[in-house]
Amino acid sequence: MTDLLSLAIRHGYLLIFVVVLAESLGLPLPASLALIAGGAATAAHALHAPAVLLLAVAAMMIGDTATFTLGRHAGWALLGFLCRLSINPETCILRSAESFYKRGKITLLFAKFVPGINAMAPPLAGSMKMRPGQFLRFDLAGVSLYVGAYFTVGFIFRDFLATITRGFTTVRNIMGVILLAALAIYLVYRIWTYKKTPHNLVPRVAIEELALRIRAEDENLLIADVRSHGYYDAAAERIKGSIRIEPNNFSAEIKALPKEKDIYLYCT
Amino acid sequence: MALLLKDNGFNAFVIRGGLAAWRKAGLPLESVPLADMVKLPTFS
Repeated sequence: MTDLLSLAIRHGYLLIFVVVLAESLGLPLPASLALIAGGAATAAHALHAPAVLLLAVAAMMIGDTATFTLGRHAGWALLGFLCRLSINPETCILRSAESFYKRGKITLLFAKFVPGINAMAPPLAGSMKMRPGQFLRFDLAGVSLYVGAYFTVGFIFRDFLATITRGFTTVRNIMGVILLAALAIYLVYRIWTYKKTPHNLVPRVAIEELALRIRAEDENLLIADVRSHGYYDAAAERIKGSIRIEPNNFSAEIKALPKEKDIYLYCT
Repeated sequence: MALLLKDNGFNAFVIRGGLAAWRKAGLPLESVPLADMVKLPTFS
């Protein structure tokens, strides 16, 4: 924290812009700490508040708009990529999606404060075809709240933070060892869960085989469309007789599915 | 999605090639019913 504060004073504006932009693009960088350091540096008259706030908001809006646009075109492919660092990529997406289903666009107002949802909300909003103007308004409100909150914390508690960082410096080596150990444990866990999960568990079926079952009027099958945003065009088509499973509302949708039937899933 | 279904006890399979392969094979398609369109979040 002390190093971040020193960096904020020396390279303040650029550092804040880069760190905040990086986090909004999904990279694991501490934008909140950068904003706190920015607030503390402003209280120390090393930086100017309007410039810090404007740069931070601009950086985050640029990142969010970029991922919103990418999500609009790439759908769940992008979401899966962003969740890859998560311990459980599937629930990472579903948790964010569930928030949108329950709270709608209001999610954007608080998403930044919730780990796991912060980087997912803009691309998910894009994937769900939220109107760009609506997204910009709500995201701007959420970004302003987030930037303002952490900046204010740094500004108000500058002296308190200085006391903490002095104490932190004395145990820096121990903290460094603890952090390295935690990182090593996390990596081992990720490798272990990856190796434990068989990746060819789901059988892939040729359409000819499925077409034969349909022609034989086999009633023990169900075809399900799981496209993340294929239904948003008026001219959308699907496989005849298939049903829709909305991936963003998965936990509710599976309650209506029959367990005795074979379920065939398809995307675009 | 298929893995999630299997984890929840369903017999799940994936259609190789998806909708594109189905369309290319000339197999029957239908328009998305309005009822399914209405279910989607509209953010309005």
